[in-house]
Parts: sequence; C-alpha cells; structure tokens
Amino acid sequence: MLTAFTRAFKTPDLRRKLLFTFGIIAIFRLGSHVPVPGVSYSAVQACIKNAPTTTGVLGLANLFSGGALLQLSIFALGIMPYITASIIVQLLTVVIPRFEALKKEGQQGQTKMTQYTRYLTIGLAVLQSSTLITFAQNPQNLFGPTCTSILPNDSIPTLVIMVLTMTAGTGLVMWLGELVTDKGIGNGMSLLIFTSIAASFPSSLWAIQQRDGRWDIFFGVILLGFLIIALVVFVEQSQRRIPVQYAKRQVGRQMYGGTSTYIPLKVNMAGVIPVIFASSLLALPTLVAQFNRSATGNQPGWVTWIDANLVKGDHPIYMALYIGLILFFTFFYVSITFNPTEVADNMKKYGGFIPGIRAGRPTAEYLDYVITRITVPGAIYLALISLIPLVALVLVGANQNFPFGGTSILIIVGVGLETVKQIESQLQQRHYEGFLR
Amino acid sequence: MTDVSAETRDSGRASRKRDRRGNPFSRFFRSLSLFVSQILDELRKVVRPTRSELVNYTIVVIVFVVFMMALVSTLDFGFTKLVLWLFGG
Repeated sequence: MLTAFTRAFKTPDLRRKLLFTFGIIAIFRLGSHVPVPGVSYSAVQACIKNAPTTTGVLGLANLFSGGALLQLSIFALGIMPYITASIIVQLLTVVIPRFEALKKEGQQGQTKMTQYTRYLTIGLAVLQSSTLITFAQNPQNLFGPTCTSILPNDSIPTLVIMVLTMTAGTGLVMWLGELVTDKGIGNGMSLLIFTSIAASFPSSLWAIQQRDGRWDIFFGVILLGFLIIALVVFVEQSQRRIPVQYAKRQVGRQMYGGTSTYIPLKVNMAGVIPVIFASSLLALPTLVAQFNRSATGNQPGWVTWIDANLVKGDHPIYMALYIGLILFFTFFYVSITFNPTEVADNMKKYGGFIPGIRAGRPTAEYLDYVITRITVPGAIYLALISLIPLVALVLVGANQNFPFGGTSILIIVGVGLETVKQIESQLQQRHYEGFLR
Repeated sequence: MTDVSAETRDSGRASRKRDRRGNPFSRFFRSLSLFVSQILDELRKVVRPTRSELVNYTIVVIVFVVFMMALVSTLDFGFTKLVLWLFGG
C-alpha cells in the first residue's frame, strides 16, 4: 500500500498532477480564510467562538464551504452555487425542449450547457451572497444573541463591494475546480467539496470528545465511522449487471463486435444528490421563518409551528418529511439520469441485445423493470444513511453535521473511491501495480 | 435460486386482467407482495464486492480521508495564523 503511494510520486506526470491538485487545494483553503472587505475579522472570530453549534438553516451550506461561510471569507459561498446551478440545469433538460436538444447534440451541446451552468452560477452567487450579507447585518441570527455587530461600516457601497467580492470568489472557485478536472486528479468539483468536508471533520469529532470528556465514546464513534464507511463502500460497489451481447458485423474489411459485456446498474444510482435536495428543501421553511421572526414574541402562528417542528433534526415530523423527500428524489433523479428507451435505442443501433429479450421496446421495458426494482433498496439505503446524523444528535449529542452520516459520508466515500480509482488507472498505464489489490 | 423474474414479469403482464378479482384491499396487497418478491429477486442477482475487495477499498478510502484531513488541517492551521497576523490587529 505505502509503496504504491511512493510509486505514485515517482511517476513524473502523475507526480505533477498530484502536486498541482494539492496546490489548488491550498489556494482554496487560503481563500476560505481571507475575510471579505468591510468585515471586522476580530469581531467575527469572537462571535464564532461564542456561537452555539450551528444547526438548521445555514448548517449544510456552512459544511459545504468548510466553515468559510460563517467566517464571511472571500470563498464564503464555496462551491455550493455551482452545485445548485448544475443540478438545476440537469433538471431543466427534462422540462425545456431546447436543453434536451442540446444534450443530444453531443460535445458542442455539452459545451453550451456548461456555459449556461456558469452564468446561472454567477446569478445564484449574487443572490446567495446578498442573502448572507443581509444576515451579517444582523449577526444575532447567525451567531446567537451575544453577537451584536460585525460590520463596522454598513453603507451601501461597502455592501456592494462585499457582494461583488463573494461573487468573484465563487467564480474563482469554479475555475479552480475546472482546472483540477483538466490538469489534476479526480473531478475538481467533488474534490473541492471533499476538501471542505474534510476540513470540518476534526473539529466536529473533537466536539464529541469535548462534550463529556470521555475517550471511550470518542473512539467508539470513530470505530462506528469505519463500519459505516465499509457499509457505504459495500453498497457503492454493488451493481446489477445486465448482460449485453453484441452481434458480429463486418464494416469494410474489419470485424466489429461479437463481444459480450454488461450494463452496470448501481444499487445506489442516484448518489448523493437526493440527500442534498431533500436537506436544502427542508431548510427552506426555516429560512422563510427566520425573516418573519420577531424578538417581541408576537410572530405569526405558522412561524411558531415551523420552529417547533421543522428546525430540530430529531423531531418525528422532520424525520418523516426527510425520509419521504429522499425516497421521492431518489426515484425522480434516477428517472432523469437513466433513460431506458435511450439505452435500448443505442443498443439496437450498435447491434447489441440482452439475451432472451427482443431489441427495441421490450428491452426498454425490461431495463425499466430492473431499474425500478433495484432503486427501491437503494432509496431505503440512502434514507437510512442520512438518518444517522439525526439519530446521533440524540445519542451522543453531536451537532447536525455529525461527521459519519448523511451527505458527508456519502460524498467522502464516493469522492475517495473515484479519486483513488483514477490514480490507480494512471499508475497502471505505466505498468505499475496499484493500490487496489 | 431459479430465475423467477422472467416468469413473474410475464405473468405479471398477462394476469393484469385476471387480478381484477377480489376487493381492492386484497388486490393491493397481492400486487405489493408481488412487487416485494420481485425486488428480492433482483437483489439476489446483484453482484456484491468480494471480501478482499471490500477490505481493500475500505482501507484505501480511510487512508485517503485521513491523509486529506491531515493535509487540510495543517494548511488551515497555517492560514489561520497568517490571516490572524494580517487582519487580527
């Protein structure tokens, strides 16, 4: 294992790629610490120190930015606007015919879609940074009642400069991510989220130890974390393989096909996206309530209801809604990303067929049958994994961003597997034996 | 472990008319139990990672995560000091 790591560093172009990636990560972390102009750095630090563990509204966003959000740094929004934008664009391909046409166009259409995603990212970044700065004007909402003011000067030009800086920061993060995808190792976007989550791991683990100062709970949690990682790896690696046989055919003087392969259908095909969707959707009512809350106590009834039922993660109504949303979005997302008719058509075009099933419509029906059946356990698994942080909230009193559960663990394991596999394939290109054996 | 899915799939389509018998409740439970048995049947055909694969992948992921955590924590420690020195005063 260790020798494989040293070997990875001995291969010249792989070493260049790895060092490049580390460099980008360093820049990303640096930007997460540099405060936006107009913010009093010492006041923010004092506020963070006194703040209760961040749950609820901005919890997820703060996790995805690696704590940069609450520090009001230039990368405060991190990669979140880009993720949201790419999810939205992906969803729009179902709704808007023009996007669907672009998707079918191949390389050129893809470029166009990426361009749209970038524009949307900038738009979302402006929106989100303005929201964040509105919050920062009344920092009690972010950090609790002890924090009174973090902006020494909140005139309009200063606020505009802050919004501009954060938006530019998001643009820079987007570019960094794409650089990693191009010249580094792994998928840049996911690697940057991974970095952010890894940044908040040590502190949230330490919080568990600090809470009642016992090492046995601390190590118990870590051991449990390893077990959960193993479980996630297990499910991520299991797939239903649908055999496909290709007919032999001759084009000119060359023989093509005649091979038998399979279509891999992962049990958890949707990945993390349903969980991200469900949690951001559940955060919406809290966000709306936040603006309508008043200190004097005469707030509308629905605000009180939301505060009672939807803010705390261990409330039964919250849990039920969360599970329901995850189940729904899993099926929804799989139906968007995997189109049985398209796969069947492609197979027919290249002379492939599933043994025992006729090409064309019966094949599409069969694929649909399998994917529906296989997604049910996948969806249940996703719901269970994302319930772990909510349960941990009750058991060990960890905060909602409990390191071994929900989005964090799915992203960590997913990105880890993907990145290591990519390094592995790079090693094998040079006839070296990799990590995975 | 026979391949029942093909049979249930075909019979499922053929018997859609025949299943109109009985009251709505028993019809619902009959189709639900058919669906569950089909799910179990598909799950049986899922290719699972072998024990050595599982152990290997898990260790690799853990090592990777620990390595990244160490890297990011070191970077963060340095940058916090630097930024505090620059803007803290």
